[in-house]
Amino acid sequence: MQLVLVGVSHKSGSLDLRESLGGVSAEDALRRLKDAGWSECVVLATCNRFEVYAATSNSGDVDALATHLQAWSNGRLEQGLYSRRDGEAVSHLFAVAAGLDSLVVGEAEILGQVKQAYQAASAAGLTGKLTNVLFQRALHVGKLVRSDTGVSSGQLSVASVAVTLAERIFGDLHKSSVLILGAGTMAELTARHLLSAKVSRLHIANRTWEKARTLASALEAEPVRWEDFPRLLESVDIVIGSTGASEPVLTKAMVEEAIKVRQGRSLFIIDIAMPRDAESSIDEFEHAYLYSLEDLEGLVRENLSMRRKEIEAAETLVGAKSAEFAAWLQEAAAGRQAALRHSADAAPRS
Amino acid sequence: MMELNLFRLAAVFYTAGTAFAFVYLYAREDKWSRWMRWCLYAGAAAHVASFGFRLQAFWAIPENRFFLPINSFFGALSFLALATAVVFVIVEGRHQLGILGAFVLPWALAASWGAVWRASQMGNTEIHGLVPALQSYWINIHPAVLMVSYCIFGNAFGVGLALLIQERQVKSKRPSELCYRLPAIEDLDSLNYRLIAFGFPILTVGIIMGGIWAYGAWGRFWGWDAKETWALITALVYAAYLHMRIVAGWRGRKAVYMSMFGFTCVVFTFIGVNFLSELHGYLSNR
Amino acid sequence: MAQSLRIFRSVKFNVGLVLAIVAASAIGTFLPQLSETPEKVDLFLHGNPFWGKIFQALGFFDIYHTKWFMGMLGLIAFDIVVCKLWKLPPDNGLTALPPEFDPKAIEAKLDTMEAAIRQKGMVAEFSCRAAPAEAMSAVKRMIVGSGYHLEPVVGDAEERSALVATRHRVQRWGSYVAHVALVVILAGGLIKAAFGFVEMVPVLEGRSRELQNKRGWEVFVDKFTVKYYDGTRNPKLFSSQIRVTENGKQLAEKLITVNDPLDVSGTRFYQASWGAGGMFREVILEVGEGKFLPIPQRKPTLIPGTPIKVTADVMMPNFTLTPDGRADTASLDLKNPAVRFRFDVGGKLTRSLWLLQFNPTVAFSETQDGVLVHAPDPPMKLADVEPILFSGIQVAYDPGYPLVAAGSIAWLLGTVLLFYMHRRRLWVLINPAEGGSRVLIGAWSSRGDVGFKKEFGAYVDRLKAGIGPAGSSSGPGAAFAGNLEAQS
Repeated sequence: MQLVLVGVSHKSGSLDLRESLGGVSAEDALRRLKDAGWSECVVLATCNRFEVYAATSNSGDVDALATHLQAWSNGRLEQGLYSRRDGEAVSHLFAVAAGLDSLVVGEAEILGQVKQAYQAASAAGLTGKLTNVLFQRALHVGKLVRSDTGVSSGQLSVASVAVTLAERIFGDLHKSSVLILGAGTMAELTARHLLSAKVSRLHIANRTWEKARTLASALEAEPVRWEDFPRLLESVDIVIGSTGASEPVLTKAMVEEAIKVRQGRSLFIIDIAMPRDAESSIDEFEHAYLYSLEDLEGLVRENLSMRRKEIEAAETLVGAKSAEFAAWLQEAAAGRQAALRHSADAAPRS
Repeated sequence: MMELNLFRLAAVFYTAGTAFAFVYLYAREDKWSRWMRWCLYAGAAAHVASFGFRLQAFWAIPENRFFLPINSFFGALSFLALATAVVFVIVEGRHQLGILGAFVLPWALAASWGAVWRASQMGNTEIHGLVPALQSYWINIHPAVLMVSYCIFGNAFGVGLALLIQERQVKSKRPSELCYRLPAIEDLDSLNYRLIAFGFPILTVGIIMGGIWAYGAWGRFWGWDAKETWALITALVYAAYLHMRIVAGWRGRKAVYMSMFGFTCVVFTFIGVNFLSELHGYLSNR
Repeated sequence: MAQSLRIFRSVKFNVGLVLAIVAASAIGTFLPQLSETPEKVDLFLHGNPFWGKIFQALGFFDIYHTKWFMGMLGLIAFDIVVCKLWKLPPDNGLTALPPEFDPKAIEAKLDTMEAAIRQKGMVAEFSCRAAPAEAMSAVKRMIVGSGYHLEPVVGDAEERSALVATRHRVQRWGSYVAHVALVVILAGGLIKAAFGFVEMVPVLEGRSRELQNKRGWEVFVDKFTVKYYDGTRNPKLFSSQIRVTENGKQLAEKLITVNDPLDVSGTRFYQASWGAGGMFREVILEVGEGKFLPIPQRKPTLIPGTPIKVTADVMMPNFTLTPDGRADTASLDLKNPAVRFRFDVGGKLTRSLWLLQFNPTVAFSETQDGVLVHAPDPPMKLADVEPILFSGIQVAYDPGYPLVAAGSIAWLLGTVLLFYMHRRRLWVLINPAEGGSRVLIGAWSSRGDVGFKKEFGAYVDRLKAGIGPAGSSSGPGAAFAGNLEAQS
């Protein structure tokens, strides 16, 4: 029994995968492969990759698979198709599951997608001993890499970085209230992130009352008249500045007034407007934390570079696990039963 | 001498535990936290064993039966070290805050190595016959109650320190990884408050016990002796903190400074007073 | 409350006052105090004439008894009464109604309550198939068994009703009782300052002394005993057999020891300390090998076989040298007894020699102007000293103590209630809904939300299990057993 892999990804060529293989979903592909006589295969289809992993005893099957993919793409997949066998296929899958082959290194979604692909193949009756062990092992390695290295830590979007910071200030956000100044996609995105962190109340203030009302109803929030927002500074915990104003709308004087009443409670101001919505001098107040768009973007860049640094450690781990699995594969191919331990792996750290 | 050797062993374990606490602060794995706790357990075990030998020697003197051997600097420091470790393990267990070990355990360390230093200075572990005034069941209660409260305040001080660091981190716009390991600012603030609120009644009850004992031994409940006065000062400062927080709603830096000032009063009450007090100079080598 | 009292009710002012008391108390521990060490006060005044005068004028040498210090304590007591005690703990029950609502309009009340509940930090809401009345009685049953006190249901149970329940209501008294306790303790202290006294009465063994604070009272010390720990000069026990008389008539007698005083109708006699004042019955001088000569104090005694008369006149119980080389005692306990012997022949002083009981190889010659010089190889040894000890009896009368003791107990009770008891409140509002009812629950805890969240979640789950969609059958025993508390 051999393991073969044929596929295409964002790394192997500048293709619009959606266009070339867009009509073919993973379920379609599985059905077609089954009809074509394949007994053990798994299809992993995401926006950035389309891969088929299969177990076969016929070495010529790699080309057969490649032909299938070409056919499905109506011939538009000229370059970019790659293939792997055995040990290389294993390490590729492990790397993919660990997020090392993704556009955003260490991203979490791919692990779920790998799981889905495996479950779909299993439901279609297209898994066997090799693929079962392989994919379960891949999911395990994916989790291991994420927990033992920093490759997936650190938020990579301005909105999620802001929420993480808010959690560093307030802890559990369920008692925090938020005031949004302005409207716009960034504000809404950040608000949605905060909502998913279960903040208790959301207020929306906009110079235009209608706009405030609209956004408020979309987010199940409370609209606030523009003149009234300074008073709210006395009680809210988080302020998101996202108006299109050319001058700061949140002045030091306003915050100073509010601080007299706030008695030292923390105030987190997320200023994602360009130009700034909040006067930078607000940062001088002891319990006011003012983060501008630049600051947040800086943190995102830092997180990204930190993830990159962790790639080496992740790659080492993946390499070790693949070698382990490849050895087992050899034993199995030779017909010898061997045990493959699944639990209590100690991560080799460099 | 069995007692001192076992005590030194305990001190070594506490040191190791504190070292692991610092590693845990910066590293990722939970295993450092486990190592820290195991060292603390081992240290406490050695400590208790050492205490057993101390009791044996102490009670060999008939007048000392059956009182606690804390009528000396060594005895008091030893008790304090053990209590700090125990209180920390309890607080850490309830709030899953092993991460604060680096802020709290140094006190246990200071107390235990302070005791070791004292023993080397005096040439022994200071096992003396109790002076007549101390031959009372109160010696088993009053100092212990007060010292437990000191440990709780020590934990609160560590939390306050972590809070100041965390505030600085978030304020800096470039929070380091430490920021994500420490608890949130508001959580630390709330924990600081709750620890002090828990320890405050214990402190005041300890002071009152001292007064009742003094009334029975010397005829007056309160004499403004340096130790009494400084214990009262400590209680007043913490009472001020509690009022500012509960009634006036203070949060953050100002409140933390007040609570830390309270802890400096604790330290002064425990150590500094020995150089001032006429009556409580039992802990100096009189 | 009058406007003029506003400053006294300000927390900031009182915190400032407390810190001022802290500062003053601290000063009293750094500067010597007249009531404890008057000689050190003198030393300070001599050594620091400039600051000494200022401190003296401010009363810093007796700071705890100055009018202004006691005034600050009195002010704190006053402020506590005016801030806290003049009003009984407010009941933070149902949200106060806005003025325009008619308190009799139940609907309005329920509306306000619903809005208020939704603003709480801990809220849960769910639907169930039970009819409102059934749901309400299920809720009541569940809550009642868990130590909650129920207030009367508001509204019509058939339609829309609300329930407020509190656990450990007594906690709200904690702060009040604690503050009352403080005032009581301060009052006790005031009474002691006004009517009580403390007097240190050193009485030589076999003698007596009259009290200054109680006219006609006299204390006799018939026997004084001190015992030491083996091989040391540390006392392990000292006691006095005393008698107290008033105008010659015996009032009481007792063997007092440390921690065990004599109480004569409120005035108590404590064995506080003891010492040697320098008097002794006799000393034993070893004048030669195996030759011991007992010498009573100040009685010139002839050394047998010589023309020399020796007089033992001064004893220092804890011998030490002053910086300018004179004899002195470091304390009044017998740590290092030394006696001065004056030798004279034919009425003329030949030698003045200090001998130490526990250091026979060390001796000092005293010159005419009182300076001591080492005398090597002393020819004699001070074998023994029989000092006349005095018993340090502390006489104290504290009529305020019962108040202080009562206040202390109240303080303990108050702080335990305030800090250790967990007062919890549940608001349950049941609205009729399609197919059953809608249950809204809000909660509040005196310990803050963090500690209560898990418990609240458990309550809600149990309630849901009890009256939720699945278990809507009628009758008490259905679908749930036990109370809200998962464990005790």
